[in-house]
Amino acid sequence: MICKNEVCNDRKAKIHQITHHPYFGFFIITFLMLMVQLLRVIGVPISITLLRAFGITMIYIIVALGFSILLGYAGLASLGTAGFVGIGTYLLGYFTKNFGLSIFLVIVISILGAIVIGGIVGFISLRIEGMYLAIITLGLSEILNEVFKNAVSITNGTNGLGLNGILVIFKNPVVVNHNTIFIATAIIMFFMMVLTLNIIKSPTGRAFLAMRNSTSAAQAMGISILKYRLLAFVVSTVYAMLAGVIYMSYISFSIPTTWSLAFSLNILAAVIVGGSQSIYGIVLGTFMIFGLNLGVLQQFSFFQNNPAISVVFNGLLIILVIMFYPGGLIRLVNTTYHKLKKIVLKLMTKWRVYRYGSDN
Amino acid sequence: MVPIINELLITFHEKRINSIKTKINFNENYLPIKLQNITEKSEKKIKFLTLKAQERILPFEIAAGVESDYLKGKYNFHLDKINDKYYWKERAVKASASRKNLDPKDQVQTLLEEKNLEIKKLNNIYFPATSNDAKTEYNNQKAVIENELNSKVSLITETLNKKIAVTEALTQSKIDKLIVAKARLNEKLEKLTSKKEERYSLDQDVVLSIKNLSMHFGGLKAVDNLSFDVKEGEIFGLIGPNGAGKTTVFNCITRFYRPNSGEMYFKNIYGEVVHLNDKQVHNIIKEGIVRTFQNVEIVWELNVVDNLLVAAHTIYRSGFFGHLLNSRLLRQEEKVMRKKAEQILEDLSLGAYKYAYPLGLPYGILKKIELARTLMANPKLIILDEPAAGLNDAETDDLAKIIKKIQKDYNTTIFLVEHDMGLVMEICDTVCAISFGKKLAMGTPKEIQNSKIVQEAYLGGE
Repeated sequence: MICKNEVCNDRKAKIHQITHHPYFGFFIITFLMLMVQLLRVIGVPISITLLRAFGITMIYIIVALGFSILLGYAGLASLGTAGFVGIGTYLLGYFTKNFGLSIFLVIVISILGAIVIGGIVGFISLRIEGMYLAIITLGLSEILNEVFKNAVSITNGTNGLGLNGILVIFKNPVVVNHNTIFIATAIIMFFMMVLTLNIIKSPTGRAFLAMRNSTSAAQAMGISILKYRLLAFVVSTVYAMLAGVIYMSYISFSIPTTWSLAFSLNILAAVIVGGSQSIYGIVLGTFMIFGLNLGVLQQFSFFQNNPAISVVFNGLLIILVIMFYPGGLIRLVNTTYHKLKKIVLKLMTKWRVYRYGSDN
Repeated sequence: MVPIINELLITFHEKRINSIKTKINFNENYLPIKLQNITEKSEKKIKFLTLKAQERILPFEIAAGVESDYLKGKYNFHLDKINDKYYWKERAVKASASRKNLDPKDQVQTLLEEKNLEIKKLNNIYFPATSNDAKTEYNNQKAVIENELNSKVSLITETLNKKIAVTEALTQSKIDKLIVAKARLNEKLEKLTSKKEERYSLDQDVVLSIKNLSMHFGGLKAVDNLSFDVKEGEIFGLIGPNGAGKTTVFNCITRFYRPNSGEMYFKNIYGEVVHLNDKQVHNIIKEGIVRTFQNVEIVWELNVVDNLLVAAHTIYRSGFFGHLLNSRLLRQEEKVMRKKAEQILEDLSLGAYKYAYPLGLPYGILKKIELARTLMANPKLIILDEPAAGLNDAETDDLAKIIKKIQKDYNTTIFLVEHDMGLVMEICDTVCAISFGKKLAMGTPKEIQNSKIVQEAYLGGE
């Protein structure tokens, strides 16, 4: 009835619509990442190691997102992540060095390869479940690691394969600025988050959850276990290999020791510490496991000299979180947010009573 | 060679006909939602335009001294604001005075004066002295503005009506085209089937026919040469002592077990008789058979409506890439399915739990949610595995009512296994009693109650 109020409500509703859009949070995360880069460009003294820590964490967030679909939604435990990311890095390295293929073409090749590899592992997962699947994928990862070490003509063995910052964007090899790739990584991360959310909220995500809860009930509901197990593995492998390609283009160096069991376990830890069914939880978990180590602890000379201590630190963190917050850190964040809200409300009422007197 | 091609063609045509049927169904269901969206949008527009027009008329109203509803409302809004402001100011003054043990009278008096002054100002703005000129001006302007508004509103309603007519016609033409295509396919199918030797056939009122079903686990004969027919639209009860093989029969029908011998035929939602032995577990639901489990199998991470949507999985036409990119078709389908799920929940008086999470809901409610879920897949035959297990008497009575309601309202056949004899005798039209995998007797509940063989099997022979 009252125009002024209506218009006001309309504006409020519009703002509410934007801030409560499902992709808004992802936008904020990406924006913060881009801000780090922007601050460095402006001249704020952010060291190159810190910037790299952010970049690598973003790449690992993509891996963790794929892994969370596998673990949190389809309920399949896999320890083969490191191998898949490694394949992605070597694909880019090999094709750029030997054939001068465009990075976009390599991405397409890696997606096709991921579909094949994910399909094979998914097919294995039909017969084997739980711990046994984890062991099988662990074995696969170790095999891949041995291949990385010994296929010297492709991977350059234990010396590691380096590109020296050279990439082929379209036709000719060029030296690409790190900052450009950082920005591209942030944007790709945003789209991967959006795609992950779309999968989770769609009938496919519901089918994954139904399958995780009970395979027989899922089958009775018309969900083909074969199709969805394969799909889960293919999706997670595509994420991992894409992240591998981005890693190689960003760091320009890949060495087999990076893609060992420890990496797979760290991704598993990141997903579990953060909260395996929440995208924000995964971002948080990845920052806890990788970002904290790369970005904060490595800044101190003490941790630089004793790298084993940061591993101990990570282990302690995992133990604490799993003991007290089995739902992941995101649960902790949610509960503290609600508690803080309550406390603020209480303080507000107290102040009001002081200022205006009690109601009666 | 030729019969194989024929067979393939037949299955191909059947699949296409089914997809056309789902398309028709989707279009019919989506039409009201689309129309509602369009009308809501134009209503919002009209509301906004009227508000704007009133705002434009307002100064002339003030000048002419006409007390319209809009003016009064706006005046009252500002008055309330002033009242509110001074109410809180007064309270603050009183509170601070009481803290300092002072008399707040003077300050309150000054506040009152200030407030009166502000109200006077407001009155001056809204009710100034009027003149006749202003009145004529007001009438002129009002006529102009209202004319404008009316023309705009009529334009909007016209376009709205046009849009509604167009969307209706479009959907109708789509449906018509689909129906034509379906008819063509049906003709082709008939030609193809006439060439083929006899397909499976069932009596007219039979939905499910089990013939000589046998299933053994090692040396144990769980089901032994069992045959029975389930008639369309009835509630069929399968009873028997523990270990009689009731659940095994269920699992054979829904293809969780592969029977050692025996045939199972089912008349599916499209009225065709299918040989269930050829089907895979996850394709059974597409034929129209939905089952529940002894212990509730609900997805705990999803809310009740989403749980219902899981069962609609086979009805979705959008594929994985549609899901990945959140395509338009998927969004439309989600709307239709959500509406359907909410409707089903309302029908079964579960509306209060629509967006609740199943963790922590009472067991009786969870069982009902499972029942509601079976309805999402447009079933023809619902198979219930011990629906009353773990429920108290009141909940069991409630469940009986709901099962009857489902059978009546949704035109389904219900096939259940139950230990609660009270429930079976109350709701079943036909009861089949088995023991050690063999059929003992079949008939109406009364006949079964009076049957000596059944009594012996339950209570032990003399």
